[in-house]
Amino acid sequence: MGAPGGDFKMSKVTYTERENLGVPVEVGAIDRELRKLWEADDASTNASLMNFLVYTEDPEGLQKNSEMIQSLTQEHACRAVLIAMNRKASEASVKAWITAHCHLAHGKKSICSEQVAFLLQGKSLGRLRNTVFAHLNSDLPLVFWWQGEFSELFEEGLYRLLNRLIFDSSTWRDPLVGFHRLAEAREDTQGRMVTQDLSWTRNYFYRLAIARLFDDPIAQQNFSKINKVFIKAHPSQRMAALQLAAWVIERSGWKLCSLQEGIWLIESREGNEISLEFDWCDEAAPIAELVISAPDCRVAVSREKGNSHICQAICTEGHCVDFSGPADSDDPEGLVASQLSRGGKNSLFMEVFPQFMKLLEEDC
Amino acid sequence: MGETEVSNPFREDLVSRNLAETCSVVIFGATGDLTHRKLIPALYNLAVDGELPAGVKILGFARRDWTDEGFREGLEKLNREVSRTGHDEEIWESLAANVQFHQSEFQDEEGYRRLAERLDEIDRERGGKGNRLFYIASAPAFFDDILLNLKKAGLSQERPDCEGCWSRVIVEKPFGTTLATAQHLNEVVNGTFQEKDTYRIDHYLGKETAQNIMVLRFANAIFEPMWNKEHIDHVQITCAEHLGMEGGRGGYYDKAGALRDMVQNHLLQLLSLVAMEPPTDLTADGVRDEKVKVIRSLRQWDTPELVAENVVRGQYLKGNVNGEEVPGYREEDRVDPDSETESYVALRCMIDTWRWSGVPFYVRMGKRLPKKATEISIHFKETPSVLFNATPGGVPAGNVLVIRIQPDEGISLMMNSKLPGTTLRMEPVKMDFRYASSFGKSSPEAYERLLLDAMAGDATLFARRDEVEEAWRFIDKIHHAWAEEGKGIPIAEFPAGSWGPREAEEMLARDGRTWRRL
Repeated sequence: MGAPGGDFKMSKVTYTERENLGVPVEVGAIDRELRKLWEADDASTNASLMNFLVYTEDPEGLQKNSEMIQSLTQEHACRAVLIAMNRKASEASVKAWITAHCHLAHGKKSICSEQVAFLLQGKSLGRLRNTVFAHLNSDLPLVFWWQGEFSELFEEGLYRLLNRLIFDSSTWRDPLVGFHRLAEAREDTQGRMVTQDLSWTRNYFYRLAIARLFDDPIAQQNFSKINKVFIKAHPSQRMAALQLAAWVIERSGWKLCSLQEGIWLIESREGNEISLEFDWCDEAAPIAELVISAPDCRVAVSREKGNSHICQAICTEGHCVDFSGPADSDDPEGLVASQLSRGGKNSLFMEVFPQFMKLLEEDC
Repeated sequence: MGETEVSNPFREDLVSRNLAETCSVVIFGATGDLTHRKLIPALYNLAVDGELPAGVKILGFARRDWTDEGFREGLEKLNREVSRTGHDEEIWESLAANVQFHQSEFQDEEGYRRLAERLDEIDRERGGKGNRLFYIASAPAFFDDILLNLKKAGLSQERPDCEGCWSRVIVEKPFGTTLATAQHLNEVVNGTFQEKDTYRIDHYLGKETAQNIMVLRFANAIFEPMWNKEHIDHVQITCAEHLGMEGGRGGYYDKAGALRDMVQNHLLQLLSLVAMEPPTDLTADGVRDEKVKVIRSLRQWDTPELVAENVVRGQYLKGNVNGEEVPGYREEDRVDPDSETESYVALRCMIDTWRWSGVPFYVRMGKRLPKKATEISIHFKETPSVLFNATPGGVPAGNVLVIRIQPDEGISLMMNSKLPGTTLRMEPVKMDFRYASSFGKSSPEAYERLLLDAMAGDATLFARRDEVEEAWRFIDKIHHAWAEEGKGIPIAEFPAGSWGPREAEEMLARDGRTWRRL
C-alpha cells in the first residue's frame, strides 16, 4: 500500500493538481474504489475508530486538511471524510478523491486510515448532509469538525446525527451569534451531541494546573480570602480566556455582579468582593497568565510565548513552590488530537457555559 | 476509589478519577535497576503528561555513598534510554530539582531518624501537607528492617500535628515465599502501616489490557450473560517467556521457580479478574472483595495424587530459541546443576462456585518457550451437532475470545464462517482488535498508573492482604506435595524452544482438550 508514513499513491493513476488528496474517483464509485485500494495490499491494516469529518467553506482548505489528517491519523485511526464547500460557485458539481494515510505502528505494522475528499460547488439543498451520510462507516461514531462559522448549512438534519461536534470559536467573527446557534443545536439534540470548542481545549492544562495548585492546604485555607483574578492572553484567544474565567467563577460558586471600567466585580460565597481583570496583549502566548490572589497567597500559572511548558507556582509568605508542566497545543490540529484522546462528554463545558455567556454578552 | 475528602472546588469533574496528591516519595533501594528503569521514568512521564502533582519530592534511600548530583546523573542517563515519551530537558530539570539522595544502611536506625528530619524539613519548605509515600524496592531480605525502622522513626504513623496527612507504603514483589513468610510480612507491614495505607504492587494489574478485562466483561452487554458454565467450556491463561536465566537472574529464580514467581501473583490475579462476580461498585474493596472470593474458591490440590493429576512441573533442556542454541535450565548461570526448581508449570484449576462449576481454568507459565506472550483465552462451548454435522469437515471449533495482555495488546474473537463457494464449508475466522492499530498513542507504563493511584489513595489495582494469603495457601499445598519424597511427581523435561513438556499436553488431553497455539 505505498510507503508507510506517506500518502497512498497508486502508480498507474495520473495525479490531478490536488496531489495529496489521492486518486480522483467518481462519486458513485467511491466504495468500490476503496475496496480495490485495500484488496491491492495485504501488508497494511485498515484501522478505524470513528468517522472523522472535516468541513470547511474554504474551497482551498482541502489540501491543508488532508495534510492535517495525515498527521492526526498517527494517533487516531479513522475514516476521514473531508468536505470543502464552495457556495459561491454558479453551477453545482461534485469532485471526489480517495487516499489512505499509512503509518508504522510502534515501528512495526503499517496501519492505514482511508480518506475520502469532496469538493462541493454551488448551492444545493441537503447536499452536504447527504454526502456525509452516504460515506460513513456504519456503527462507528461520527466526529464532525466544523471549521469556521456556523452557516445555514449547520442545520438540524445534519447535527442530529453527530456524536461529537468540534469547532473553534476563536475563528468566529461574531461569537455571540455562534454560541447562540450552538445552544439551539444542543437543545434540539437534547444534549446528546457532545460539543467541543477548541478554545476550551486551549486552556485544559491551565485548569489542571489550578486544580493541582489548590490541592495545597495553604491555597485551600486562602480560598475564601481570594480578592483578585487576573488573566493575560493574546487578543485572538479572547474566547479561551473568557471560558477560563467562567470556569474559575463557576467552580468557586461565585456570582458575577457588574463590569466597571473593564474590571468585572464578583461576589464570593462569603459575600467578599473579587475583581476580575483581563489584559489583552499582542505579544503574549495564547493564554499567558492566570493569577488568583488572596492577601497572603498567590497562585499563578503562566506561559511564555512559544514555550511548550507552563509554569505553575504557589507563593505565600515563607514558601514558594514552582513546577513545570506541559502546555496546551497552539495549533488546531494538536488541539483536536488532544480532544480526541480525552474523549468524554465534556459536561463541564456545559456547566460553565451560562457563566461564559454572561461574560461574553457584556464583552461584546 | 480514593477516600480523601474533596475540598478543592477546581478538582471536581476535571478528571475522571482522583488526582494524585503532593507528597514526598521515598524509594528504598534507590540505586537498583527498578528505580532507574521503571520508577523514575514513570514519575518523569507522569510529569510530561501533567499528571504529577506540583511539589513532589523524591528521596532515594540506599547504602551506597552517592551524592544528590551523582544520583540525578545516573537517573537522567537511564531516563534518556528508556522513557516512553523521550526526554524533555525542561521537564526533566524541573523533576530532577526535586530529587535527592539519602545515604543509609537499611538496618541503621540513625539513618531513619535523619530521614524523618529531612522529610520534616521538606514539609516545612514546601509549607503544605506532609504526605509521604514509601516505596520498598529493595531486596526482599530488607523488607522487615525497613518497615520496623520506619515505625521506630515515627514515619509510619498519622501525625497528630499534621491533620489529614497520610503515610503510605508500596511493597514490591515477592510478597513472601510461602504462606508463612507472607503472613509474617503482612504482620510486619500492618504493624507499621494500616491496611488502607498498604499497596502491594503487582504490575500486571497496571497493564492496560488487564484493566480492560473488567471493561470488556461489565461494559459490554453481550459477554456477561455468556460468562459462565452454561456457555464457556474452559479458560486458558498462558504466560510464555522466550528468555531463560540471562543477566544473572538464575540466582533468584532457582530459589523461587515459576509457581512462586509468576503464578502466585500475576496469573492468579488475572484468573481472578476473569472469574470474579460483578463487583457492587468500583471502590478498591468492592473489586478486591470479589477477586478474593475467586481465589478462596479454588479447589485445593492438597495431596500428592491430586497434584500429580492437576499440576505439571517442568524444566527446559538444551535447545534452540529464535535460531540460537541455548543451554538447559540446569546448565544456566547461577542455577544448581541438580536443581529441582520448575522453570515451567501448568495447572488445571477448578473454581468451586455456582458460575464456574465444572469449568477448568488451565494456567501455564514457562521460560524458554518459543516466544514471549501473555494471554487469556475463553473457549466457548461448541454449537449442538444438529445442523452442520453432515457438511464436509463439520463445524471447525467453538468460539474463542482471546485477551492479549502482552505484547501486541488486544482482543480477538474466533468464529466460524462459510467459505466462499457452492458447497457448505466452514473455517474459523478472526475478528481482531489491537491497541497499537486502533490507538496510536502509547499506553502509560504499568508503574505510571500504579504510582499515580498510590498518590491518589486508590488501591483498586493493588493486592490486599487476604488475596495474597489465599493465593499462597493454594500455592503452598502444591509445593508441599512436590516436596514429599517418594510420591512420584517427577520434573518433566522438554527442549528449550518448544511449547512445554508432553505431560502438560496429556493433562489437557485427558479432558479432551488441547493447549491453544499462540
